[in-house]
Amino acid sequence: MLDGFTTHFIDLMKTVGLNFEFLTSGYEVRMWLDGMVTTLVLVVITIPISLIFGVLFAAALTSGKKWLAVPVRAYVELTRNTPTLVQLMCGFLVLNMLISNALGGAQNNPLTPFFWVVAITGLHVAAFHAEALRGGIEAVPSTTIEAARAIGFNSLQILRYVELPLAVRSALPSIINNLVNLVKLTTVGSAIAVGEITYASIMIWTQRDNVVELMLVILLFFSLINLVVARIGFWLEKRLAVPGFGQ
Amino acid sequence: MSIVLKQERAKQLPFGGIFAAVLGLTVIAWLFLNQSLGQVLLEWLPYLAKGFTMNVLISILAIAIGTLIGIVLGVMELAPFAVVRAPALVYVQIFRNAPHLVLIFAATYIFPFELVIFGNYVPFPDWVKAVVGLAIPASAHIAEITRGAIQSIPTAQWDAAQGLGFSRSQSLRWIILPQCIKRSLPPWMNLYASITMGTALASLVGVHELLHSANDASTAVQRTDFTVVVYLTVLIAFFLFCYPVSRFTQYLERRLASR
Repeated sequence: MLDGFTTHFIDLMKTVGLNFEFLTSGYEVRMWLDGMVTTLVLVVITIPISLIFGVLFAAALTSGKKWLAVPVRAYVELTRNTPTLVQLMCGFLVLNMLISNALGGAQNNPLTPFFWVVAITGLHVAAFHAEALRGGIEAVPSTTIEAARAIGFNSLQILRYVELPLAVRSALPSIINNLVNLVKLTTVGSAIAVGEITYASIMIWTQRDNVVELMLVILLFFSLINLVVARIGFWLEKRLAVPGFGQ
Repeated sequence: MSIVLKQERAKQLPFGGIFAAVLGLTVIAWLFLNQSLGQVLLEWLPYLAKGFTMNVLISILAIAIGTLIGIVLGVMELAPFAVVRAPALVYVQIFRNAPHLVLIFAATYIFPFELVIFGNYVPFPDWVKAVVGLAIPASAHIAEITRGAIQSIPTAQWDAAQGLGFSRSQSLRWIILPQCIKRSLPPWMNLYASITMGTALASLVGVHELLHSANDASTAVQRTDFTVVVYLTVLIAFFLFCYPVSRFTQYLERRLASR
């Protein structure tokens, strides 16, 4: 039944000049589907990591403590103004090499290319989240903070119960935008042989020369993921909207 | 929202600059203490610099082409006819959501390595394909910037201009466009910075730009400390190029917001 569908699809695509012959090769199809799954796993793991670190960075930036704010500010500026691929290379080639040397050989190094993609892209986007959240935290009226302090909240509680809930609401559009970028950024993983969809597609099209076909699928795939991310964001925005707050 | 942004801008201190200076000085101090390393890096610097000029060249061409196409698309998005509007909307939707890397790969593999123009074979090198690959997302983003800028001008201004005796083209030239340019300059510069950072992706399709040069250098020299320094150099080079652009963008935003 599925085979029949596949041959039918291949024939149909052939009539419009697209070559999807690779769908008959079990090995390539498996690699291709694995690629899609890997991209989805990357996205699902990296989004929460970026959000957690985004909140931590924003908290550090607005803490008023120099020893916290200055290093984080430096990191944010560095990561916002350098290419993610260069950061990935610095992580995967340089830091990874140093770690391997320190542990006495690459075989002792537990860090995989997958780890580096998650870490670098997650922390990169976290810097953008932090900037968005910081704007929101700083926009909380000082009278609100004073009121919270007056009823006995300490600064962590103020952050958790007063500043963050308000900041998240005003920063949500930028955060969603950053997440869409994050989804696109996961493709840099192909540079260090993480088998996500781009990497799998490169493997297939170097054999079969069907770049246009696979490219169409990749573009559709990313459009779909980003559509879902944007929809969820839109839903959250509606859901979290406080009457009378914000625009 | 505007209050949020104003406070955000007011708090921007040049930490990034300080950080770059600290990082740069650390590298210089290290090279001074380890002179053989400094010598090797000095030998490779011209090669790396040549790589970086390629990054700058690709980014300038990509943003130039992207701007021209993007403005046309942005105006098309506002056209009163659905036939004109629809293709522009679809183009922008697809290519704004597409990863830069994928578009660079697409451009590299889909276009032939030479073109036949009036019977002459014109080479179509990889770096030009990278320009195309980056110009596509740039044009999609610029279309949105253009559309936003035009829409942000109240239509009443057209009527007011007419009331003052301006013709339609005069009011476009003297009243609407100057405001559009002012409003779209900061996002345009943000985009330029992001395209510049995207040029590093061209190394993956074999364009000899900075990251590729660093890779060559590190494989040729085969020294752990040199590998560390050469990649740090790449990081600092991009930072020194993009950070002033982003600072200037923030300055422009601040100035425009206070009007």
